[in-house]
Amino acid sequence: MKVKDAEYSLLFKTIAYVMVTIFTLVCLFPVLLIISGSLTDNETIVRNGFGLIPEKFSLDGYMYVFKYPTAILRAYGVTIFTTVVGTALGMFFITMAGFVLQRKDFKYRNQFAFYIYFTTLFGGGLVPWYIMLTKYMKLMDTYTVLIYPGLMTPFLIILMRSFIKSAIPDELVESAKIDGANDFRIYRSIVLRLSMPGIATVGLFLALQYWNDWFLSSLFINDTRKYQLQFYLYNIINTVQFIRDMAISSGVSIGNPPTEAMRMAMSVVVTGPIVFLYPFVQRYFVKGLTIGAVKG
Amino acid sequence: MRARAMSRRRGFWHEVRKNWVMFLMLLPTLLFFLINSYVPMVGIYFAFTRYNFADGLFGSPFVGFENFRFLWQSGKLIQLTLNTIGYNLAFIVLGHTLAIVCAILLSEIGARFFKKLAQSIMFLPYFVSFVLINVIAYNLLNYDTGFINSLLVRWGMEKLDFYSISWIWVFLIIFFYLWKYLGYYAVIYLAVITGISDEYFEAAKIDGANIFQRIWYITVPMLRPTFIILLLFSLGSIMKGQFELFYQLVGNNGLLFNATDILDTYVYRSIKVTFDIGMATAAGLYQSLFGFVLIMTVNYIIRKVNEDYALF
Amino acid sequence: MRRNIKLVAAFLAVMLILLTGCMGGGKSEPGGGGSGGGGSGGRTSASGLDISQRVELQFYMLGDAPVDLPLIEAEINKMLVEDLNATVKFNFTTWTDWEQKYRLLLTSGQPVDLIFTAEWTQYQAYAKNGAFLALDDLLPKVAPKLYAFVPQEMWDAVRIDGKIQTVPATWKEYVTFGNVWREDLREKYNLPIPDSLENVEKYLAGIKQNEPDMIPLAANGLFHTPGYYDFKYEPAGVASYGFPYGLYIPYDDPSNVQQFWGSERHLEDLLVMKRWMDNGYISRNVLTTQDTAHTMLVTGKSALMMGDNPNRWNSTNQDMKSTHPDWELGYYPYPLKKGYATPVHPIHNGFAIPISSQNPERALAFYELMVTDKRYNWLTQYGIEGTHFQVTEDGYYEGLSDSFKREGMNGWAWRNPEYMLFDESFEAVNEIFHELDKIAKPDIFTGFAEDWTPYQAERAALEQVRQQYLHPLEVGLVDDVEAGLRTFMEKAKEAGLETIQKSYTEQWLNYLKEAGIQ
Repeated sequence: MKVKDAEYSLLFKTIAYVMVTIFTLVCLFPVLLIISGSLTDNETIVRNGFGLIPEKFSLDGYMYVFKYPTAILRAYGVTIFTTVVGTALGMFFITMAGFVLQRKDFKYRNQFAFYIYFTTLFGGGLVPWYIMLTKYMKLMDTYTVLIYPGLMTPFLIILMRSFIKSAIPDELVESAKIDGANDFRIYRSIVLRLSMPGIATVGLFLALQYWNDWFLSSLFINDTRKYQLQFYLYNIINTVQFIRDMAISSGVSIGNPPTEAMRMAMSVVVTGPIVFLYPFVQRYFVKGLTIGAVKG
Repeated sequence: MRARAMSRRRGFWHEVRKNWVMFLMLLPTLLFFLINSYVPMVGIYFAFTRYNFADGLFGSPFVGFENFRFLWQSGKLIQLTLNTIGYNLAFIVLGHTLAIVCAILLSEIGARFFKKLAQSIMFLPYFVSFVLINVIAYNLLNYDTGFINSLLVRWGMEKLDFYSISWIWVFLIIFFYLWKYLGYYAVIYLAVITGISDEYFEAAKIDGANIFQRIWYITVPMLRPTFIILLLFSLGSIMKGQFELFYQLVGNNGLLFNATDILDTYVYRSIKVTFDIGMATAAGLYQSLFGFVLIMTVNYIIRKVNEDYALF
Repeated sequence: MRRNIKLVAAFLAVMLILLTGCMGGGKSEPGGGGSGGGGSGGRTSASGLDISQRVELQFYMLGDAPVDLPLIEAEINKMLVEDLNATVKFNFTTWTDWEQKYRLLLTSGQPVDLIFTAEWTQYQAYAKNGAFLALDDLLPKVAPKLYAFVPQEMWDAVRIDGKIQTVPATWKEYVTFGNVWREDLREKYNLPIPDSLENVEKYLAGIKQNEPDMIPLAANGLFHTPGYYDFKYEPAGVASYGFPYGLYIPYDDPSNVQQFWGSERHLEDLLVMKRWMDNGYISRNVLTTQDTAHTMLVTGKSALMMGDNPNRWNSTNQDMKSTHPDWELGYYPYPLKKGYATPVHPIHNGFAIPISSQNPERALAFYELMVTDKRYNWLTQYGIEGTHFQVTEDGYYEGLSDSFKREGMNGWAWRNPEYMLFDESFEAVNEIFHELDKIAKPDIFTGFAEDWTPYQAERAALEQVRQQYLHPLEVGLVDDVEAGLRTFMEKAKEAGLETIQKSYTEQWLNYLKEAGIQ
C-alpha cells in the first residue's frame, strides 16, 4: 500500500511540475514580448513587428515616458496612496459584511445578500451615478473620488462571505456567543484570525483593483496632479485611438503622436513595480496563510 | 424552534434591536450600495424617454419601447444573445475548471521557490491590459509581419490570414480570456485549499487513500461551495461583460463579426453613431432583465437542493 | 465590550465623514459661491456688465492639458480679476473617452461655462437638443466687440433652429482633402505626380515594384475611403466614412440627390479597391492595424495617403524630417482637380455656453477677451513670451519650450487672424491656402443639422450592416465583389436604408430651401 501511494505521488508530482511549467511559460511569453517591444526602435516595430529579442534596440519609449518624471512619480504617489487607504478601509467593511452575511443566526442574511447582489444586475447607467458623485457629493477633483467608489464590490463581499463560511465552524461562533462575547468582538478575535487566507486573497484583489484603476481619474479628475498611474497609460493609448478614428473628420493635428514603443514602455513602467512587489506581498500572504493554519 | 417562531412574529425591528451590533456592522455596506447603486437606478427611466437637455430626465417625452427598437432592427438580436451567452459560459466553465486544476497542482508542488515563482508568473497576465493583448495578438497573427506567419513562410507553408477567418477567433478569444484570468481565479481556489485542515489529509492517508483519491474525495468537495457561489455570481451577468476583450481584439473588423459579435460590442457601435442615452440604457435593461430571470430561477432551484450553496 | 462598541462607532464616523464630510469638501464651488469677492459693491466691467460678485468660470477644452497650464492660468487670472472680477479654471477632457465625457458634462448639469464645439463633437445634434444657450440677445449686450468682430454671415452660418448657439472661429483655413506622397521616392523612380486617379494608380504600382517591402497606400480602417470619394467625385460633402447613407449629393446640383450605394459607380470603385488589395497596395491587415496613417508615412512603411488636409500634411512632413531629413512629402489638394475649394465651415471650431452655466454673461465676456484682447490671446495660444516662445525678426513664431507648444491649449476656436503667429514652415501651407482662395466657394454641407431621431433605430442598425458588410468591400477584402455588394444592399434594406434615405433627403431639401441654396 505504502509503496503504491509513493508511486502515485511521484506520478502526480511529475504531472504537476510539467503542467505548471507549461502554464508558466504560456503566461510568461507575451509578457516578455511586451518588454522586448518596449525596447525596440519604433520604426522597426511598424515595419517588421517585434520578437522576443529587440531587432533594433532603442530606449526612445522610456525616454518619452520619463520626459516629465515628476508627473509619473506623482502619479505613483497618488496610486500608492489610494491603493493603501482604499484597501484598508474597504477590507474593514467587506470583512464585516461578509461575516454578518454568513451568520446563520442573522435572520435577514439572504435578503441583504440579495440587496447587494441585485446591484450587479441592474444599474441606472453612468449618467445618474456621475451626477450623484459630482453634483450631490461634490467629489470632482478630490482624492476621495479615487477611493470611495471602489471600496466594495458585490463580488468581493460574496467571496469574503464564502471564505469565512468555509473557514469558521458555526459552533465556534456559537460557543463564543455563549461566553458572552458580542458580535464585533467575535469578528475581531475569531474571524480576523481564522480566515486569514481569505482575507489576504480579497485584500489582494481589492488592492489590484485600486492599482489598475484609471476610469475614475478619467471621469472625475481635471487636475493633472491627481491623475493615477494607470491613467497615463490609458491616455497614451486613447490618444492614438483618437487619431486613428477621428483624424479624418476632425482635421485635428497632433504633432508627434505616441508610438507603439511608448505604449509598451509605459505599460512596463506602470505595472513593473507591482510585479516586483508581488513576491513580497505574497510572502505576507503565505505568512498569513500559515498563521491561519496554526491557529486552526 | 419556539424562539424562531417568536422572532418571526415580532418582525424586523425586533431583529434589529436584538442583533443591533451586526446591523451596525452591515450598515456601511448597505449605505454604500444605496448611494452608489440604488439611488442612481432612477436612470433606468432614460430607457423610455427621448432625452433633451431643456426638459431634463423626467420632462422629456415618454416614448415607450422606441429605444429598444434598434436591438432587433438589424435582425441580429438572437444571434447576439446566443453569442454572448455562449462565450460567457465558456469563460465561466473553462475558466473555473482550469483555475481549480491549476490551484490543485500548485498546492501539491513541494518546492517553495518554484511554487512561488510559478504563481507570480501566472498572475502576470492579469496586469496586461486588453489593449496590449491586442498589440501582442496582432504582432503574432497579422498577415504581413506576424510572428506565426513568418514561421509558416520559413517552413515553406502557406500564410494564414487570421484576421479574415472568423471561427479561429472563437478559440483565440477564449484562449486570451483564460490566459488573462487563470492566475486570478487560481488564487481564490488556492486560498480555499490552504484553508483545509491538514487533519483531513492525514486521516485519509492512514486510511490508505492515494493522492488522486485524496484530491478527489477531500480537496474537490471542499472547493465545491466556492465554485458554486462564483458560478452563480457570474450567471447574473451572463449577457454582459468582457467588452474590452472583444472590442480590442476584434475592433471594427467586420469580417469577424458573425462569430465574435456580442451584445456589448453591438450596442457600443450603435451608440457611437446615435449618441443616445436612451438606447444605451435600453440595451442595459434588456441584459439586466435576462440575467435577473436566469439567476432567480437557478438560485431558487439550488436553494431547494441545498441552502448552503445558494447565493441569497 | 464597551471598547468594541467605541471602535464600531469610530469607524462609522470615518464612514460618515467619507460620505458626507466630503460633500462639501469638493474643491471650490464653481460658480455658485463667490463669497470671497464681495468688497467693491456694484462694480461694472468696461462694457457695463455687473461684476460685483467674484465668480469662477469653468472652461472645458478637448485634448490634453499642456504641462505649463498652471502658469498660464495664473497669468490669465491676474488680469481677469482686474477686468471682470472673475477667475477661470481651464479643464481638459483628455482624449480618453472624450465623447462620453463630453456627453456627461452636458447631461449632468454640472456647472460648465464654456465648452468647445465642432461638427465632429456633434454640435448640430446637441444644439438641436437644447444643450446650449442661445446667444442672440447676450452677444450685443455683454460682448459687443466680439459680436462685431465675427462677420455676420458667420453668425448666420452657425445658427441651429434659427439661434446662434456657438461663437465661431474667424480664421479662414482649408481642411479640404489632398494626396500626400513621398516626393523623394517619386523622383527617384521617376513616377508621375498623383494628381489624378490614373496617376495615383501608376504611382502606387511604381512604389510596389521598386520597394516591394513597402505597403504603398497608408490605409487603416477606412481612412482612405472618404478621401478617395472626395477625390473622384464632386460631392457637397463626405461623412467620415464616405457618402451619408450612400447618397451622393453633387456640389453643383445639391437638390439632385442620387443613389450611390449599389450603383454601377459604386461597384466600379469597389473593384478598384479589390484590385489595389490584390496588387498589394493595401495591407491585408487594414481593418485591424493600430498604426495611424501618419505613422505609416513617417516610418517609411507606406508612401501615399489619400485625404489629408494641408495643415496636417505640413506637420507630418516636419515630423518625418526630424528623423529622416532626406525624405520629403509632396501634397496635391483635391480642390485643384475639382475646381472649387470650400473654406472651413464656421461650425468647425467654436465655443458654446451650456445651459448649465451659472455665469453665462461673464463667460461670454471672458471669451471676448480671449479672442479680441491680444494679451489674453497670446497667452492662451503661445504661452508666456520669452519663456515658451519668441517672435523672430521676420515675425515668425519660434517655440522655446516643450511645456507649452504652439496652440498648446488646442486653441483652434479662439484664433484671431490679426494676432496669429506662424511657424516659418507654415509658409508652405499658406501658399496652398492662397491657391485655394482663388477658387473658394462656400461649404453648403456642414450647416445642415440632420435630425436622426425619426430613424434612430434604423441608423444604428445600418451602422452595423455597414461595418460588417461594406467595410470589407471598401478595402478590397471580399473576393466576390458583386455578390458582396448584393449582400450588403439586401442587409442594408432590411435595416431600413430606404426609410433613412427618404427622411434624410426630405430634410436635406428643406434645408436647401431654407438656406436659399438653389
